[in-house]
Amino acid sequence: MNTRTPVARMTTGRLPIMVTVILTAIFLLPLTGSSHIIREDPWHPVPAAYLRSLFYLKLQPTDWTLVRAEYEGVREDGWELEAVYDGIAAAAEVDGTDHVAAIRAAIQGSDARALSATATRAMSQLVRLHLRRALGQITTPGAALEEVHQASRMYRAFDRFVRATDPQGAREIGRAWLELTTTVGTAGVENRGVRPADRERFTSAVGVVEAYLVANYEDDVDPHLTHFDPVPTGGRASARLVAPWLPPATDLNDQDPLPRLVLNFEERGVDEKELFLVAYGDMLFDSPQIFGEPALSLGITCSRCHNRSDINQRFFIPGISTRPGNVDVDGHYFNPRFNDRRADAIDIPSLRGLRFTAPYGRDGRFASLRDFTRNVVVNEFAGAEPSPLMLDALVAYMLEFDWLPAPYLQPDGRLNDAASDAARRGEALFNRRFEGMGDRACSTCHVASNNFLDGRAHDIGSGDPSSPGARDSFFDTPTLIGVVHTAPYFHDGSIATLAGVVDWFDGQFELGLDAGQRADLTAFLETAGEGADPYEVFDADNTQFQLFWGELSTFASTLSTLIPARDAEHAELLLLTVATDLRLDASALEDLSQAPKVFELADHLDDIRAAIMAGDWDEAALLFSGYQALEAAYEPDFR
Amino acid sequence: MSRRMLKGGLVLAMTLALCVARLPGHASAAPQDTLTLAFIPQENPEKLLDDISVISDYLAEEMGMAVDGYVTLDHAAAVEALRQGTADVSFMGALPYVLAHHHVDAQVVLAEVYRGSAMYKARVFVRRDSGISGLTDLRGKSIAFADPISESGYLYPLDLFADAGLMTPGDDPQSFFGSVYFAGGYQQAIQAVANGYVDAAGASQFADLLLTPEQLLEVTWIAESGLIPSHAVIARGDLAPPVVAAFKRAMLQLNDDDYHHLLQYVYGPDGYVEVDHAAFADVEALAREYGYLQD
Repeated sequence: MNTRTPVARMTTGRLPIMVTVILTAIFLLPLTGSSHIIREDPWHPVPAAYLRSLFYLKLQPTDWTLVRAEYEGVREDGWELEAVYDGIAAAAEVDGTDHVAAIRAAIQGSDARALSATATRAMSQLVRLHLRRALGQITTPGAALEEVHQASRMYRAFDRFVRATDPQGAREIGRAWLELTTTVGTAGVENRGVRPADRERFTSAVGVVEAYLVANYEDDVDPHLTHFDPVPTGGRASARLVAPWLPPATDLNDQDPLPRLVLNFEERGVDEKELFLVAYGDMLFDSPQIFGEPALSLGITCSRCHNRSDINQRFFIPGISTRPGNVDVDGHYFNPRFNDRRADAIDIPSLRGLRFTAPYGRDGRFASLRDFTRNVVVNEFAGAEPSPLMLDALVAYMLEFDWLPAPYLQPDGRLNDAASDAARRGEALFNRRFEGMGDRACSTCHVASNNFLDGRAHDIGSGDPSSPGARDSFFDTPTLIGVVHTAPYFHDGSIATLAGVVDWFDGQFELGLDAGQRADLTAFLETAGEGADPYEVFDADNTQFQLFWGELSTFASTLSTLIPARDAEHAELLLLTVATDLRLDASALEDLSQAPKVFELADHLDDIRAAIMAGDWDEAALLFSGYQALEAAYEPDFR
Repeated sequence: MSRRMLKGGLVLAMTLALCVARLPGHASAAPQDTLTLAFIPQENPEKLLDDISVISDYLAEEMGMAVDGYVTLDHAAAVEALRQGTADVSFMGALPYVLAHHHVDAQVVLAEVYRGSAMYKARVFVRRDSGISGLTDLRGKSIAFADPISESGYLYPLDLFADAGLMTPGDDPQSFFGSVYFAGGYQQAIQAVANGYVDAAGASQFADLLLTPEQLLEVTWIAESGLIPSHAVIARGDLAPPVVAAFKRAMLQLNDDDYHHLLQYVYGPDGYVEVDHAAFADVEALAREYGYLQD
């Protein structure tokens, strides 16, 4: 089993949509508006663009086109802005500074330090601007409160950084925001619940926020933005490093709906707990512990991209992904030493049927799955050299990934009798040789009897050579099995639909297909590429937490091998992973009142780890027995 | 319609809502041809405008009549709009609803469903590492509530202290606590606890869903209220029954899988159920006890 993506636990099923947003967001939210039962606040485009632009500056080489686009447009929907510059312009009211011109000049000059300094001052002054406006409207509670909200939306750009580096300042500012919302006054309803504004306290709280911002974000901000983290620069801020962060619009949540995982051993009725190597590999596939920073702190795992062995269509990190579902794994952010300085985000491939899809990598650069896996761990995500056991386990687990059953395919890859007439006509086209393709057919490369693979890389013109005449745009032939569920398509995810793929081939190779033929060929792809029951179905009898719990319980079961073997290295990694995930997964419980039991189990695992680290294996064995007893006792309550 | 045009429409609608008086109880003899929705901003009025256009289009299609929506400044403005007839329907919590019911004869139409229930609870949250294990421990401490006109974000948590004999209903809570804040919403209240800005928060039981998983480890709750009716969809009292019925039918259709995605445009509940005023009897009783209702 597999689906470990800590941030994503609540994204499937019918949980309220705004819950997904907060768990997606890496940032906390200081303040929003009046209460509703479950609702989260979206990012305002100005602080969002500001943070994204700082994040882009961290990446080498900096893509100034991306930076410019952030300020000239608006990424976040639903706001009354045509361009982020429009929102920033208002900050000039504070002291007359033309922040827009300064930001434009910095971008024009590709001056990262100037941009970070001037944009930071602008953000600070936007907070102050809205607080001043609130003060000006203090006799109109609703209007003043909205200005306070707007100020807090702007302050959100700094909030996590203040809390990370200046806890005392964060408390003072945090209480000042509470003062502001408390003393701004409320109109009540029909003269009930009325709270008149307290101008004096409100003004005082505005002063606290303004003084902090001026001292920390407007005076001499430049020296402190070396790493483009908007940390407070006042003397009280500590030198503590800010934990890795990802900018607004990042989406690390699982695909929704969640793909169904098909494991060969499970289909054969074998319990994963009886397969030590597979179970341990399953845990590693879900463990950020195998990676280095920043992936480790961000909770990046194999399954974060390859949800349930398949793909994650929503995975997106601004500056690292060019569209949802793709990622540049050899760029600057995750491992500067592995930075190839190419902007070459690739579409996340499905790992289903992995034992049949060698070679590995979009261009087939690795013949060995073991070599490919090591490259992901060590080079792409800066992890330590994995032990032989870890590589064996990861490979053993991934080799169990099966394709979804294909309801319209015979074993030899031909369509069966259930396929439609259109799909059959499309199958004939699929097998027809075309002059435009050098007298080859689609099936020449997508060999139906070989799971629609030929095990080779080809240059079909879908990529751009990196230099004139370079022969470096060859990509591995992808399977068509399950392809209905793996959009978008091509190595970079540049084509959204299978119909689009057909159109592309028709144009690229001048196949001369008419509309009907293109529709038939599309129907064939959609039929051959269909998978049965593609998504996990959650209901009262199969909750998300139960899915997670089942996995973690399986992972923990490997202690029954590791403890007798006195394998401290692998036991520690396992215990760190499972205890952390247990605590994070508690938020997926249907009944959060059960969370303390989950935390207790996690604490128990910590105790086992402490015993192992102390070399007390007898105590570890005893504690593990206790853990198993607790598991059995609590499991019925977990939903 | 462009965003800018919609914004213009908003300004006009707000002006009308506040300035154009219609007699209470007014019911036109002519069939009503437009349904007007009043939304109370919760986090982003501009985003809410986009949401309104989606749900208004849906309702117009389903009800066969024009549907307009606008954003009010606050609860007070929404209730006033219902009184004036410049809004037909609004969305609010149980406490503002009972106030609207008593003062302007608003009628509840539907209740929101979360986690399979149209009822929920209020809780008092604290940090796990605070050493606070009971309500008594909060004497002289700081607490953040959501809003003074909130059942689960103020009234019910406050009543937990009265039930414990620590306060008398109607007393200034400042007499027990060291500091009392109104954070503006459930999320802000519980975040204030998680971040250590206050010692406790009174908020909806679901507020901890608005914590990150890491924060969830740090926050727990020490007291829980009885069941409270969920947030409500309410209509002005003299809205024509056929219109109410058509509206209710269309909103309940959002429970169906084919329409479920539209719920995100109306505050994001899991669904709706029918409910009548009797379900709010306990809220009314408590509102009286705390001086929100005096008749």
